[in-house]
Amino acid sequence: MPASAREDRRPVLNRLDALSVGALVFFALLLGIYWFHQVLRGGEYARLAENNKQRSVPITAPRGFIMDRHGAVLAENEPAFTLLLYRRDTKDLAASLLFVSQLLNRPVEDLKHRVERDRSYLDFVPVVLQENLTIAEVGAVQAHTFEHPELVVQTTERRVYTQGTVAAHLLGHLGEATPDQMQAAAGKIRPGESIGQKGVEAVYQDLLAGVSGARSLIIDSYGREVSESGRVEPLPGNKLVLTIDLQLQKIAEEHFADKVGSVVALDPRTGEILALLSAPNFDPNVFTRRVTRPEWDAIMENDDYPLNNRVLQNVYSPGSVFKAFMAYAILTHGGSPDERTFCTGASTFYGRSFRCHGRHGSVDLATALQVSCDIYFYTMGKRLGIEVIAETAKLFGFGRPTGVDLGREKTGNVPSNAWSLAVRKHPWYLGETISVSIGQGPLLCSSLQMARAFAALANEDGALPTPHLFHIGENIRTAERFVYRPPVKESISYPPGLRDKIVEGLWRVVNQPGGTAYASRRSGLDICGKTGSVQVVGQKDTKKANLLPEKLRDHGWFAGFAPRKDPKLVVVVFADHGEHGATAAAPLAGKLFENYLMRGVPPLAGLTASTGAHPKSPVPPHPEPRREPDATVPRTRI
Amino acid sequence: MSRLREILPRRVDVRLLAIVAALSAIGILMVVSTTAGTPRADLATKQMIFAAIGLGCAALLLLIDYRILLQYSPGLYTLSLLALVYLPIFGKRIAGARSWIRFGGGFQIQPSEFVRLSTALLLAWILENDDRAFLRGRTIAAIAGAVALPMVLILVQPDLGVAVTYLPFVATALFFGGLKARWWILLLVTGSLLVGGSWFVLKEYQKDRIRTFLDPGLAARGAGYQVRQARIAIGSGGIVGKGWQKGTQSRLGFLPVRHTDFVFAALAEEWGFIGVTVVLGLYGVFLARAIALARDARDRGGSMLVLLLGIGLVAQALVNIAMNVGFLPTTGITLPFLSYGGSSMIASWGMVGLMLSVSYRRFVNI
Repeated sequence: MPASAREDRRPVLNRLDALSVGALVFFALLLGIYWFHQVLRGGEYARLAENNKQRSVPITAPRGFIMDRHGAVLAENEPAFTLLLYRRDTKDLAASLLFVSQLLNRPVEDLKHRVERDRSYLDFVPVVLQENLTIAEVGAVQAHTFEHPELVVQTTERRVYTQGTVAAHLLGHLGEATPDQMQAAAGKIRPGESIGQKGVEAVYQDLLAGVSGARSLIIDSYGREVSESGRVEPLPGNKLVLTIDLQLQKIAEEHFADKVGSVVALDPRTGEILALLSAPNFDPNVFTRRVTRPEWDAIMENDDYPLNNRVLQNVYSPGSVFKAFMAYAILTHGGSPDERTFCTGASTFYGRSFRCHGRHGSVDLATALQVSCDIYFYTMGKRLGIEVIAETAKLFGFGRPTGVDLGREKTGNVPSNAWSLAVRKHPWYLGETISVSIGQGPLLCSSLQMARAFAALANEDGALPTPHLFHIGENIRTAERFVYRPPVKESISYPPGLRDKIVEGLWRVVNQPGGTAYASRRSGLDICGKTGSVQVVGQKDTKKANLLPEKLRDHGWFAGFAPRKDPKLVVVVFADHGEHGATAAAPLAGKLFENYLMRGVPPLAGLTASTGAHPKSPVPPHPEPRREPDATVPRTRI
Repeated sequence: MSRLREILPRRVDVRLLAIVAALSAIGILMVVSTTAGTPRADLATKQMIFAAIGLGCAALLLLIDYRILLQYSPGLYTLSLLALVYLPIFGKRIAGARSWIRFGGGFQIQPSEFVRLSTALLLAWILENDDRAFLRGRTIAAIAGAVALPMVLILVQPDLGVAVTYLPFVATALFFGGLKARWWILLLVTGSLLVGGSWFVLKEYQKDRIRTFLDPGLAARGAGYQVRQARIAIGSGGIVGKGWQKGTQSRLGFLPVRHTDFVFAALAEEWGFIGVTVVLGLYGVFLARAIALARDARDRGGSMLVLLLGIGLVAQALVNIAMNVGFLPTTGITLPFLSYGGSSMIASWGMVGLMLSVSYRRFVNI
């Protein structure tokens, strides 16, 4: 079949010539195109390639410091050292990692994992081997620069919470921006940037963060820096002075070191929060250092949710503390402070027996508050009805946000017939009114709501302040200050003499024998307050409470203010499973009142003195600040 | 043995071998340059191994008489097609296409590259059996079918780039087989209809490439971005280039797939217009050698085989070079001997081996 001899191949050979001509044309065409781009337009393309060699490296602005009201530092920045590995300079990766592993006493596997994770980057992008080296470790690495040129120590800034776990919940912490946050910031936040995630760090993120600068670099074909072609300096963040009184905060922290609960101390006249604590707490420094697995597990496996800010996010029945507001309801709805009820230790309402924790005999309003007689308030509550009680509770700010500058808060619940129909799909049971009269049942509030409501009792004009932490913001370059400007003030109206009747009862709670918090009295301070407890399990023999597992014990409340005349401080203490407000909560409140009131009214924050503590800004003076602090911060210039 | 040492250099076309070796060496240098200092720096060593294997395959094919291969080409073709049939059914998707057969140890081959050899053998065999001045209708149909079958199987993988490398086979076979004017007209009409119709078959990313080819300013950061950055790489190379391993466009990652499809742009950036001229020249000389070998071949089958393979390789190179500078739309087509890739390298060397085999047996009285 195959042709063995040469057949007539002339047509094929002719076509070969045609092919040669065609190919020549195509080769010449291509060469011409390359000539056009490389020789004729080469200069233009060279400029475009130059632009591609520009790199912009952000310079993070120093984050503003956070101080307490007297200028004590709560959060600042310190230099941190990061160990980098440049793979392009690595001769023997295993040897380098072994060296680092021995130096830092870290498993080689961890280091290998980090190198693996960044494998997809180009070789000239360094791998972060270890953050936060100690000075000794920095020295050790630098002593071996000659053998290990691939290891480089980079200096960065790190957020430090100087007080450790103290005030952790109100300060919050930093964390890497989430994709959602980056989207919300519309390009103002870079990927991987640390921003405030909780507390005032988050609420005042814009104020604290400042404006990043940038270095424009020219790099070579290996990505190495050849020269700097431009530089925009960062604008440091504003200093933030909080209303917090560190001394008061620390007393509360010490008390709750091994307990669960929350504390709020505020100035009733302004709403300035002097202490705010949620226990158990956590160390916000852990988040800046990059959380290690055991640290994270310790936080997550704690049943008491240390990251949760109990002051805002846990709501409880107010218990007997609510009787203070019942008193207001009674007096504003035709009740007389002198009317008496006879307490035999139990009574029947709506066909059901309700008990009292004692046999108080004949009690009037002041005595009922003093001894916390349930029968008196059952009787009054039945007469008032749930709608009047709900109206009063709402008047004092229960069931709605306090407006605190600390992020999301739970609003609790003020029950009424309308609420029952809307949420529970059945009408209000009259018997429930009896429970609500002593602060039990579906009535729920947070410690912060309680503190705010007590401020309205403390203030003779009935002012209901907005609790807040923002005291003063200061632009450290221009020394321009922004102070807190309160929103429109709410207040409760007191008919003449009415408030005195309630305060008399609250004063007796602490200062007269038989008062539930008599043990926590302080001579000369005239503390007024109310104790309360919240049932964790149903009716039970309280005498056996000691035998119960701790988690089944009642919670204890104390809320109060002092001094009786011109109150300057409101304190709310909530002790989880503390059993009695009198024993678990009131003693701490006594200590806080004593400390704050006995040392006299402190002077305003020593801002001028502390300004010097901030590192000198390398920023050239700008005629105008480039960015105003967060517009949501109410402020006035002073 | 001594006789062999005497005969071999005279019989083996050393010039063709030298051209291909030079191109492969340039390719290895470019793979070094485009990957040095990156985690893929080991690719250069691999490329050297591929070139060595390619040389081995070429030697093997040189030793086998191409006449035998032509004779068995229908069987070889059928066997090789089995691999292409296997892929869409059992193949694993890698980077969106079922183009690879995986073996153990990270070893994988791309059958579509190798099927080009058996297809060229079959076409040469078909042409040999129709040696009139003009091809008969059924021969034309056989040629069209022999190319269409693997092309369709490769298009469903989908791998437009490799499928396109089969088109020069049809053109070569028909041109050198001989076609009457009316056939050319018919071919042009159906061809343009097919091109028009293919718009409805193409995948969206393929359409994007054609759109951005027609209007590069269309998407500054999209598909047009690659074309633009490749052109900046080429243009900024100027006359003498930026120097080996100094191409910022390619090394800083602006150039897409810089060690494979866009290796020529990387070369243009680092070696300038001079480098471009040298490499284009090497392909030109390669084509000239192929034409010379076709003239000298001992029979029609050998001539056709050399032309199919030689023109196939050079056409692929020219399309890739035109694509690098944005003169043709971007398809995933490799530059023979220069682009990184084992299957492409070994198959290309195999094709050279067949060409050498024809040349080796150019004397009738062997």
